[in-house]
Amino acid sequence: MAEFDITSKTRDGMGPHGTQVGLLRVLGPAHVWALGVGIVLVGEYMGWNFAVGKGGAYAALIACWLAGILYTCVAMIDSEVTSTVAAAGGQYTQAKHIVGPLMAFNVGLYLVFAYTMLEAANAITAGYLISQVAALTGYEGELNQKPFIVLSILFLAWLNYRGVLATLTFNLVITAIAFTAIIILFLSTSGVLGGSMMQHKALFEGAAALPYGWIGVLAAMHFGLWYYLGIEGTTQAAEEVRSPARALPFGTLAGIMTLLIAATLTWYICTGLIPWEFLGDGTNGSVAPLFDAARLTGSQPLVVLLGVGTLFATLASANGCINDASRAWFSLGRDKYLPGWFGAVHPKYRTPYRSIVFLVPIALAFALGAPLDQVITFSILSGLLGYTFMPINMILFRRKWPMDSIKRGYEHPFHPLPSIVLLTLCAVTFFAVFLGYGTQLVAMIVFYIVASLWFHFWRYRFVARAAQFTMPWPRPKGY
Amino acid sequence: MSFWNLMEYAAWGLSAVFGLYIVIDWLKTDATYDEEVLTSSREGELEAMVEERHG
Amino acid sequence: MKYAPPKQSKLSQLFDVVILMTMTFGALYVPLYMGLAGGAKVEADPAKLVSFEAMGLNATQTAQYQALGFTAPSDIPAVFARFDYAINWGALAVMIVVIIAYYALVLRFSEKEYRDVISEKFGD
Repeated sequence: MAEFDITSKTRDGMGPHGTQVGLLRVLGPAHVWALGVGIVLVGEYMGWNFAVGKGGAYAALIACWLAGILYTCVAMIDSEVTSTVAAAGGQYTQAKHIVGPLMAFNVGLYLVFAYTMLEAANAITAGYLISQVAALTGYEGELNQKPFIVLSILFLAWLNYRGVLATLTFNLVITAIAFTAIIILFLSTSGVLGGSMMQHKALFEGAAALPYGWIGVLAAMHFGLWYYLGIEGTTQAAEEVRSPARALPFGTLAGIMTLLIAATLTWYICTGLIPWEFLGDGTNGSVAPLFDAARLTGSQPLVVLLGVGTLFATLASANGCINDASRAWFSLGRDKYLPGWFGAVHPKYRTPYRSIVFLVPIALAFALGAPLDQVITFSILSGLLGYTFMPINMILFRRKWPMDSIKRGYEHPFHPLPSIVLLTLCAVTFFAVFLGYGTQLVAMIVFYIVASLWFHFWRYRFVARAAQFTMPWPRPKGY
Repeated sequence: MSFWNLMEYAAWGLSAVFGLYIVIDWLKTDATYDEEVLTSSREGELEAMVEERHG
Repeated sequence: MKYAPPKQSKLSQLFDVVILMTMTFGALYVPLYMGLAGGAKVEADPAKLVSFEAMGLNATQTAQYQALGFTAPSDIPAVFARFDYAINWGALAVMIVVIIAYYALVLRFSEKEYRDVISEKFGD
């Protein structure tokens, strides 16, 4: 790349398609890792434990690993397609080129809602955590969580507004701290350093291990996704990464490995300290399980460390979500799938500023008005619909552009096995959501059906046809 | 007023500062620049550049 | 023939956003207000909530609850509610039909629009 520097300040922003102000290409692989893991790591600090409630401790572990397989497939598929289709909007842009406009519109909405709801869930948790800290430091009254929820969303929106490099560097630092906190908690409770505090045997006695039998294992898959939900968001950074074909697969796959480790350790620590009924109820019981585990160790430094870890994890996640949701919304606007007004880039900060601003009140409305498991389910469902799209996308991608027809930055092995495994696991997860949250699922899909009809019969008229196909690829096979 | 009451007000205050910063800058930017410039970003820039290099 | 999209007025753009937002909030809040949302749970027997022993918990489990600051299950009754996983086959069938219908609809319309895009981009 010596003779052509795409990070050049003079070249950048004067692209060949008439772009005068574009997003800034400044990120490296570490930022991609920070974006992916930063969004997801909060899943170990809160939310995954609903899986314990739905099926018991062992069910949560099985769900953790099954979901791990699901996400490994997601990462493999995503890495191949994204290293070839590198644009903000990630899966949305992939769908547009490979499946078709209406699918792309739906995928764009999945992304925006999965991330905005996750952002709301994070803000709720941050507010809760601060109220806990207030109670622990001896505050008598009931702390008003609202100002802290609002502050975390507005602060991060401000950070995102001001530029992507600072945003994701901030994420890198706080994500690393939150991850280290889990490792330290594991080392100091598991018996590696000092005596073991783990009581798995006694806590798993009686009904505790598998209270609902095997159907509980299936049901737990619903929240098993939460251990990893959002890792696929790394693709949203494609237009801001210096070398997408290299940095995106690397950052994403490194992210999955980090999360597999963190998820397993978290399960081990929490189930060894917290009785399952309490652990499994993330609304009335253990909202922040790692923090509760630290409290049960009786060690003040660990309580502080995991308190900080929880706060940082929620902030890192909300931060990444604002980044990803706004990129997706921006891309939809840029193609006129949504009003073109959203497709604007800030001339100084080079961020999709109008999309960032617009999504703030929506995140606030959900964070202040809806219960946590509802918001999480909304987010998981949008994610799940997106994962179901991916195998379809992958199979069509290989069929329309066979291996030698275009240059791929990364080719994943064993095709079509990952696609088939992914599709199967998605079907299992749909069933898992049905167990306990069926109404929510149907309401959600009805929403997407209505939105699809609206797009096809009304909105699509504002979209230029050939112009949305921007990749320099040959004609797809069979068209 | 206790420490945590104070913190509540501080949080509201800071929220307002960040919110105002964003809104003011947004309105200022929209007023300063031409809409054509602001929405000139197009997808697929990188690919086109790489093509250009080969061509 | 190249398709020339109409230019959308500011007002119409605003209207589109309002519609989309209404749909979004509807999807979240309608089930919430109708009381249909959330896990289908069965409350625990109040007679058992009086003590951890009555709930059938062992000494270690009880000790951990006490360490968390609870003296009896009745402090946190919601935690001891259970899911009801009796499968309603009718509802399951509805869900499967809705999901398949949704993907079928999206893929069908997408395909139609996609053929349009490709023929305009690469010529006939």
